[in-house]
Amino acid sequence: MALGVYVSRCAGRVDAALDVGDALDGVASRAAVTRVFDDFFDVGVADSIVADVSAHGLDAVVLAGHSEEHYRKSLSASHLIDRIAEAGVNPNRIVAANILEQCALAHPDDRAGATAKARAIIGVAADRAGSGDAVEGESVRPKCSVMVLGASAEAFVAAQRLLRLGYSVVLADREDGCARAGRAQSMHATASYVLGHPAATIVDSSRLVDGDGFLGDYHLVLESPEGTVTYEVGGILLARPDHTEWVEELRRHFRVDVDDSGFARSLDPTMHPAETVDEGIMVMPLRRSDAKESEKVAAADAAAMALVLKLSHDTVVRYRHTSVVDESLCGGCATCVRTCAFGACYIGDDGFSHVDARRCVGCGKCVVSCPVGARDILSSPHDHLMRAVRDLAQVETTSDKVIGFLCGGCGYPAADHAAKTVAERGEGYPSSFLPVRIPCGGRLDTLYVLEAFKAGFDGVCVYRCRDGHCHNRVGNLDMDRRVNLLRTVLRSRNIDDARLRIVDISPFEGDHFVDTLNEVYATIGGLTNGKGGAL
Amino acid sequence: MSRPTLATVSLGGCEGCHVALLDAHERLLDLLAAADLVHSPFSGEEEIPENVDVVMVEGAITTEEDLRRLLAARAAATTLVAVGSCAVLGGIGGLRNLDPVEEVTATAFGDAAGSKSERLPRLRRRVQPVTDFVDVEISVPGCAPETQLIVDALTAAVTGTPYELDRRNLCDECPREKQTLLEHSSEFVSDSVVALMELDEIDEKRCLLEQGLICMGPMTREGCGAKCTSMNVPCRGCMGPSRMEFEQGAKTIDALAAVLPAGAIMYMDDLIGTSYRFSMPVSVFPAAYQHEGGEDA
Repeated sequence: MALGVYVSRCAGRVDAALDVGDALDGVASRAAVTRVFDDFFDVGVADSIVADVSAHGLDAVVLAGHSEEHYRKSLSASHLIDRIAEAGVNPNRIVAANILEQCALAHPDDRAGATAKARAIIGVAADRAGSGDAVEGESVRPKCSVMVLGASAEAFVAAQRLLRLGYSVVLADREDGCARAGRAQSMHATASYVLGHPAATIVDSSRLVDGDGFLGDYHLVLESPEGTVTYEVGGILLARPDHTEWVEELRRHFRVDVDDSGFARSLDPTMHPAETVDEGIMVMPLRRSDAKESEKVAAADAAAMALVLKLSHDTVVRYRHTSVVDESLCGGCATCVRTCAFGACYIGDDGFSHVDARRCVGCGKCVVSCPVGARDILSSPHDHLMRAVRDLAQVETTSDKVIGFLCGGCGYPAADHAAKTVAERGEGYPSSFLPVRIPCGGRLDTLYVLEAFKAGFDGVCVYRCRDGHCHNRVGNLDMDRRVNLLRTVLRSRNIDDARLRIVDISPFEGDHFVDTLNEVYATIGGLTNGKGGAL
Repeated sequence: MSRPTLATVSLGGCEGCHVALLDAHERLLDLLAAADLVHSPFSGEEEIPENVDVVMVEGAITTEEDLRRLLAARAAATTLVAVGSCAVLGGIGGLRNLDPVEEVTATAFGDAAGSKSERLPRLRRRVQPVTDFVDVEISVPGCAPETQLIVDALTAAVTGTPYELDRRNLCDECPREKQTLLEHSSEFVSDSVVALMELDEIDEKRCLLEQGLICMGPMTREGCGAKCTSMNVPCRGCMGPSRMEFEQGAKTIDALAAVLPAGAIMYMDDLIGTSYRFSMPVSVFPAAYQHEGGEDA
């Protein structure tokens, strides 16, 4: 393994709060190359890393600086990862180490603590990058067609743009929206253009009854009075993100985030108003029915553009086989089949568990439910998470040490947002809080909690999506059940289960993150006993 | 060349594994034709002789005397075979690890607990498997292990052939059929959790979990031939986990909370006793902490 570790000072924000040299020191002996940049997104940085990849034969890269969420959300940031991957490093071995949002910005007045934490976070990322199995990429030619759900005025405008660019469009409405639009005065010409276009398929009174696939290659099954038809499309535009029935039907098969009203929401309302966690699904960034026509047109343009940016490539690469089965261990007990909310697991004729890669979203619930460790998920591997718990327990801290298992759909982005709360309040939270990102609350194996207490943590926090918000449908509830049952185990060993806390949170609730964390510290600070550690 | 020598030793256990070995009946003759039995709990002399090719140990380490005899067995043996859940996993006696040894002694020996008699065993603070103290070449879990498993393991040991149990869970060899577990659904496979005697009628063919019975099969290593589940009795988990690092207690929660209602699992008689019945001493926390200041209020 040849590991490259790169640090971004993030335009001075990182080294204002911690000592970059000390933070890097922990991995220096493991790394083939370490390098510190002023900012990863300066011109020339990607070229420099790419040059290292070939010069040093790198096959694992750690990018210490911004949160992993930053690369997930920003097209420009993810481009850095794409460049490194094109240079030959498997994407499962390119790992972000969040030493900005959850370290430097979270602990502005605790240089020693922030440095020790950054050192540990970089160490965990290096372990993840170095131990990650390569995931196999599958190139697909994106289908030159889009399904638009909900026949709103914006839907017609977006459909018109897509048709003009050569895409075919399936326009579906739950009622008679398409027929009504054809008779309406407003935007009459646009509606007529779409309704009369040979590449447009119009389906009124329809329901989405099944779906699978990923960016570039979705199969969607619509049921309507005309019958049940499977459409193959490259992308999906949810033109009525406020129509909870469409949202609910989509969420049965794909990952879509919702807000408190049950409306579908994008990754980031300001920078990425249309993109969702599923790369090929866009939401119309407008929900007000009283919006001006110019606003509707702008929203439709934004959504159509977002789709075209994803689909207008000769090929898109889909990394598959993220969920794997060890057949020397699998006895076919089928707990994974029952726990999967997307119907991606099944027991084959050979008696072993198999994964339908078109339906698997990588939440990792099957890994947790597997009683023998026959399942794993390459993007969040079990052995790595166990090592992360043990390694983070080694960090020397001056206050009680708390580990946080942060769901990537809520707690982790909320912890990133907490950087803003810390800046506003002028007060951080203890640097002895050490985060571990998991893809879903449902990925939390109770073994990690036991291991954390054994390794010496004073407290364990699990952050999970608010009820109804889990984009893996019920990962939060599955986690609740498991963790609350685990309390019996902790109590049987005289470990005080007040040291274990589940927190409900939404991704933008930085304030709530800091407040609940301070509550956790207050609770643990009042306990003198009931702790784990060496027996 | 002389025949290899064989000895068997019983530590903290019930000698049920020795009984299981004796159940081999005439198959024992084949084993004894291949090896000279030089020592066993039934042979009279207390101490194991020096230099024995194969030593089978049964039982966990519960007293200082167990430990002394284990170390003697290890010192004597070329190949040490740990037989039974007590030796391999700590066994059912390991459930006493949840209580302070003083309470265990008081409960077990009553008024005699304070006696200075040499005949009272001196209990160690907690029960441990033999593997906590010595390396073993072959492990055969089970309470008691199937007779054939013991015979196979000892035969492999005396003939110097490799021996390894399969690692899948019991479902792999269980003959019962799954129906609802195979369906894609967000519903639990049963509305409630019931004890065997609460069931009005048992479906002879169907998976016991689907009938609301707590079966430890998914959390338990195969090898026993699924004798219990074949006879409509839920698995009790005596073979221990398929991999030691996936303890049965935590994985019972992780696996069953996905298929059965959690409330029902929580209120089942004894989650801890059921899920850690044979493997408490090899779990992440092999015993309860005894905090000096007692519990926080």
